[in-house]
Amino acid sequence: MASEYLLELEDIEAGYGRAALVLRGLTVKVPPATVVCLVGPNGAGKSTVLKVASGMLTPRSGTIRVAGQDVTGFNPQKMLGAGLSHVLQGHSVFKEMSVEENVMLGAYSLTDRAEIAERVDFVKDLFPMVAERWKALAGALSGGQQKQVEFARSLMVRPQVVLLDEPSMGLDPKATAIVFEQVVRMRDAGTAVLLVEQNARRALETADLGCVLDLGRVHISGPASELLADPQLAELYLGGRPATPTTT
Amino acid sequence: MSLLIQSIVLGLLLGGLYALLAAGLTLYFGVMRVVMIAHSAFLILAAYLAWFFSTETGLDPLLSLLVTVPLFFLIGVGMQRLLISRLRPATMTMMSVLLTFAIALTIEGLLGYVFTGTQRRVRLSYGGGDFEVFGANIAVVKLIAFGLAAVSLLVLYLVLTRTRFGQALRATIQHPEAARLVGINTDRIAGYGFGIGLATAAVGGTALSLDSTIYPSLHWHWIGPLMAIIVVGGLGSIPGAAIAAMVLGLGQSLLQIPLGTTWAQTFFYLALFATLMVRPQGFFGGRLAQRF
Ligand SMILES: Nc1ncnc2c1ncn2[C@@H]1O[C@H](COP(=O)(O)OP(=O)(O)OP(=O)(O)O)[C@@H](O)[C@H]1O
Ligand SMILES: [Mg+2]
Repeated sequence: MASEYLLELEDIEAGYGRAALVLRGLTVKVPPATVVCLVGPNGAGKSTVLKVASGMLTPRSGTIRVAGQDVTGFNPQKMLGAGLSHVLQGHSVFKEMSVEENVMLGAYSLTDRAEIAERVDFVKDLFPMVAERWKALAGALSGGQQKQVEFARSLMVRPQVVLLDEPSMGLDPKATAIVFEQVVRMRDAGTAVLLVEQNARRALETADLGCVLDLGRVHISGPASELLADPQLAELYLGGRPATPTTT
Repeated sequence: MSLLIQSIVLGLLLGGLYALLAAGLTLYFGVMRVVMIAHSAFLILAAYLAWFFSTETGLDPLLSLLVTVPLFFLIGVGMQRLLISRLRPATMTMMSVLLTFAIALTIEGLLGYVFTGTQRRVRLSYGGGDFEVFGANIAVVKLIAFGLAAVSLLVLYLVLTRTRFGQALRATIQHPEAARLVGINTDRIAGYGFGIGLATAAVGGTALSLDSTIYPSLHWHWIGPLMAIIVVGGLGSIPGAAIAAMVLGLGQSLLQIPLGTTWAQTFFYLALFATLMVRPQGFFGGRLAQRF
């Protein structure tokens, strides 16, 4: 079945162990070649959404589709095969390996040598820093450089959708600018991006669509520019709740 | 003078065996955060199997490796799959001590039951052979044991750094979640890591059987020094463990001259205390840790 969305999370309920549900009927849809930004306060469940999408956490109910294909219940290996690539919150390079080894591990699930070589050229092109520091130890790079290595690693499989969890966390303004610039370049290269950001204003300026997540559901969604102009959202920045919480 | 040289050579030869066994312990800790108290019990089990094999068949005990290495690998994979992976991650390290302590007692009990508590020793045609280094006499079997350990460590190193499996194993040690996200089946890799760890005990046990008298409770003499080595080396660092093993093995051997065998053992614990006081992360726990 063809779908106008690359990634669809529909009515997702998910949580950890026996604790209360974190996501309570969440729906997020990502169209092709689009940056969708998910914003919300700490603990709202933003990272949990991405974990569900990449198969690290199996939802209790709801449906996940990639390009129309039902992938609900897939493990991370299969999700990767379906075209989802996840860059974790915080640092997740393999610190005691070289940049090269990190990037090549991104191609762990690929077997065709020609394809791998082609992807290496592609990511080196997209991230000149990665090409420059190819033989360096990943753990010895700065935080911003490590993020770029993580991006490069996640793009080796030619994903349909990249899930980025707070890529600007802990970076200085210059490194943050580079990261957002690269998010745009990933999109322009044809990859859809589901972006989670604490730095909401900045992220919405970069994104095409935005969703505001609170209490495990999406409260407001729409074109990012409209959300930026929304006074309700401004209230949320300041730690307030949406004016009319839904109770279903 | 020749006594000193003899001690140095013996210390280095012993250090090689320590290094191999410590590498195994490092692997368990690296892939699963497991403290494997039963490592030395498996060491003694392998030594018994080597002795039993050579007494029954009359063949060289080294040939028992053909059976014990794959067998121990499979036991390690099974142990990780059926026991260790059932422990809750939050309390993994603590509970693994209890679990593997119980396994060590079980192995010791079984050895006592099957082979009795009698001390055993392999008879070798070349058992009495020795050679001279600067006037010191070194037994040939010690050199064979060292060679076995050194070759195994080299193979382990090559597997970890040069193969696709080694890459996946190191990735799993360094960042399990990220490893899963690049498509590595981290459960399977952790099982294999455990199997390789136990295989080092198989090799070590065979090497040990060549020149040692063995008995069921012998493993208690090994586990303390081995634990001390991996703490001094920085938990999770194979090169760190190897260097610490050589240094401490040498120290133990040298201290045997003035102190005798029993007191020389305390060197490991002194090194352990000193490490915990001065550099709790171990001497190679920083940059070098997890390198391979
Ligand atoms: N591994 C876990 N085990 C148990 N509970 C968890 C786990 N991870 C997250 N939680 C809980 O789930 C809820 C949502 O967490 P999540 O990490 O998705 O939030 P977030 O929106 O990403 O927050 P932040 O902005 O701080 O990253 C929190 O209440 C958190 O305590
Ligand atoms: Mg988060």
